[in-house]
Amino acid sequence: MSQGMTRREFIRKGLTMVAVGATAPSFITRTALAMNNPWDVAQVTSRPGVPDDRILVVVQMGGGNDGLNTVVPFGSDAYYRARPNLAVPQKDVIRVTDDLGFHPRLTQLKELYDKGAVAVIQGVGYPNPSRSHFKSMEIWHTADPEGRVVRYGWIGRYFDSKCPVCEQPTVGVNIGPAMPLAMQAESGMGVSLEAPEAFQWMPSFNGIGDREEQELFRLLNAPAANEAGTIDFLRHTAMNAYVSAEQVRGAVRAYRGGVDYASTRFATNMKLIAQMIAGKLPTKVYYAHITGFDTHATQRGIHETLLQQLAEGVAAFYRDLEAQGNADRVLVLAFSEFGRRVAENGSAGTDHGTAAPMFVFGKPLRPGLYGQQPSLTDLTDGDLKHGIDFRSVYATVLDRWLGTDPQKILGHNFEQVNFI
Amino acid sequence: MAEAPLRKFQATPANPWNRPKAAHLLNRAGFGGTPEQITRLAAMRVETAVDEVLNYEQTSDAAFPEVDFSRLRELYAAVQRARRERADQRTLRELANQINRENRLKFQELRANWIGRMIQTTRPLQEKTVLFWHGFLVSGFPETGASEHMAIQLDLFRRMATGNFKELILGISRDPAMLSYLDNNSNRKGRPNENYARELLELFTMGIGNYTEQDIKEAARAFTGWTFAGNDFVFLRNQHDDGPKTFLGRTGNWDGTDVINIIFEQPATARFLPRRLWEFFAYLSPEEPLVEELVGVFRRSNWEVKPLLRTIFQSAAFYSERALRAQIKSPAQLVVGAVRLTGAGIPELGLARAMDLMGQALLYPPNVGGWPKGQGWVNTATMLVRYNFSNLLVSGTMPGVGRQRPTAARVDHLVDAGRVRTAGDVIDQLVDRFIQSPLDGRRRWGLLRAFGTNREDTPIVLDGERGQEQLRSAVHLVMSTPEFQLH
Repeated sequence: MSQGMTRREFIRKGLTMVAVGATAPSFITRTALAMNNPWDVAQVTSRPGVPDDRILVVVQMGGGNDGLNTVVPFGSDAYYRARPNLAVPQKDVIRVTDDLGFHPRLTQLKELYDKGAVAVIQGVGYPNPSRSHFKSMEIWHTADPEGRVVRYGWIGRYFDSKCPVCEQPTVGVNIGPAMPLAMQAESGMGVSLEAPEAFQWMPSFNGIGDREEQELFRLLNAPAANEAGTIDFLRHTAMNAYVSAEQVRGAVRAYRGGVDYASTRFATNMKLIAQMIAGKLPTKVYYAHITGFDTHATQRGIHETLLQQLAEGVAAFYRDLEAQGNADRVLVLAFSEFGRRVAENGSAGTDHGTAAPMFVFGKPLRPGLYGQQPSLTDLTDGDLKHGIDFRSVYATVLDRWLGTDPQKILGHNFEQVNFI
Repeated sequence: MAEAPLRKFQATPANPWNRPKAAHLLNRAGFGGTPEQITRLAAMRVETAVDEVLNYEQTSDAAFPEVDFSRLRELYAAVQRARRERADQRTLRELANQINRENRLKFQELRANWIGRMIQTTRPLQEKTVLFWHGFLVSGFPETGASEHMAIQLDLFRRMATGNFKELILGISRDPAMLSYLDNNSNRKGRPNENYARELLELFTMGIGNYTEQDIKEAARAFTGWTFAGNDFVFLRNQHDDGPKTFLGRTGNWDGTDVINIIFEQPATARFLPRRLWEFFAYLSPEEPLVEELVGVFRRSNWEVKPLLRTIFQSAAFYSERALRAQIKSPAQLVVGAVRLTGAGIPELGLARAMDLMGQALLYPPNVGGWPKGQGWVNTATMLVRYNFSNLLVSGTMPGVGRQRPTAARVDHLVDAGRVRTAGDVIDQLVDRFIQSPLDGRRRWGLLRAFGTNREDTPIVLDGERGQEQLRSAVHLVMSTPEFQLH
């Protein structure tokens, strides 16, 4: 499809190819049909009054963000006692309330906050917290702190619940080299990509010709009815990629630009998401990553750089959406697998902890601080006690933003938080 | 009578030792074989074939060029001198910048050097095992800042590749790259840093659920003062906490070595590595009785890795349906294997870049948990990169990597023209080389059409420009298949 083949032509050829085979893989037919008018698919399942063009962007702060140095409890003596080297001095904190404020490198976040585009949910965690990166990340991705074996992620389960446009691979787009568990769905929907220019299959040079090779490529990769397991997974992934590639690159080409982004990897990825939104890609959930928060040693410089990158990336993204006229359609949810220990360690760093703030960015929210800053003196094993379960935040987003029944996705009812 | 879960593979007329199984051994215990190498192994007895792969010390390995770190060492010495002489901030900053630049350069050189080694080695199991350890006892840039430390760590893995696991754990606990990657170089008395202690227990030896948070804190105290100077391990007595610690129920004035000794007394430790090795070399989620037998082998040998590998490679389960052509190749496997198969002359840095895009940036692991496995390697992005990689081999370029050779590669050496009369003959040879198992009729037909025919028996001549073009397309297509992603 990369070599000048139109979408219509692909649909025709795709269906012809299917007709050639013994049985029609329903996935190809559905996908091909859905590509004609993305927003017409499965409208029946969406809730009246909730527009179908809403988008969620999840930002994963990998490694365990130090919540206490992000939203700083500068009114607390216990904070300064626990962190003789790492505490943010009172005079540097960007004040939000009389005893809480943002890290000084979060000026752009504060600007968004003052515009009414930020909700901070404090003290988010879950019962019996795991301090393992991998276990805790798995818990956040599956929304299952009981540690049952859940194969699919909370967003993947939303895709599986037949959300609008969920029949298309591009319903979920992850920017990065590995699809996060959160986005993994039984239906196999969702695509990962990094560089749009690399997101296409290229025929060989000096071969039999592009058109011929493309045709044979589809023949070799078309899913077959009687296969199962790994080979079937590979064929479906290949075809998902093939049918999404032109969509993605077409969407990115339509972007006009005009907003400056920093040259960091995170900002570049946020820009790519803005490009795809501008290009009307039929995507419900985008997933972006910013990593390096595992600050066991010499935390200060590392952490403040990351915070600045986060704030700059999100702020530029927000400006871009406003310029596009899409700011009303997009909500950004930022989380980390855990916060860090209240007391600093001997390496000018912090070890793995528990509860931490989550951030929600966007125009369509009720701004402000939610929940309570956990006590810095009433601790469990040196760690904060959480006040809000992260699944309450997921439930709020699923119900009030994506318009689906959170109990179906999360298995239980969770008290919601009023940031939407 | 129930069969022993790990019984040895016995060739029978119904289940012979043959080319597909010899190919499987070469794939899993190395980076794959050419048709000629497969034929040679298939002609041996299975025990002989396994021994040949396993006893690689008996194969002389070509002397590989080492990465030269001399300029970097001079720069580090210059910094120390400048500090002693109280040089000004600008001088120190300039030296630090030079060191950063040189480290970045050497880091790339080391990646290229290692890939070159994987491609050329006559001891594939050794490099394959180094790859396993690199993904298991994880260190990497940028947390490990010194490129020479990573070279030293790879040498440790190479030296102890199939040796004693307990010694390797002791070695890695004193390894400069690891000490800096998991911050033990700043783990000091009074204010311990838990990073290394936690991952030692969770990811390297026992697995989550077999110790408490308190055990982690106590183990961290035991490792205080374990650090490095230059390229060497040092123990700083005045930074070591020599008070009593209670670790896994035992109390004493433990240091790191004591902690490792106690770890190796735990049943969980005996169970941890055997499963990981089986999953790397054979298949995921092995049957529990099979793991139990491996654990017995491991324990009886006092933590030797080689007897474990021999048991794995000789087992019937290793040659069963669950194992044969059922594993998704890691990016390193795909790239190194394809280059070994085709002999394509692509600069190693280009190959490293291709692996990066496939999600396996060597010496730059995603986190301390190491690489994905199984289906985790594949998503829409990496699938297209994997397919386009074959274009790097046949056309000399691919998206995201750029042109790595001036012209398209010749591909005629991939087919023995003397044995080709019909289009079907060419497909047979390509499938034998690249897929190593039959291809279903419809997919075969797709390849036939690259040669402008619908029929197996169409006579074909591969000479001339047209024949080259057809063969080039067919090679690109046969590598752009789900089948080629498996081994």
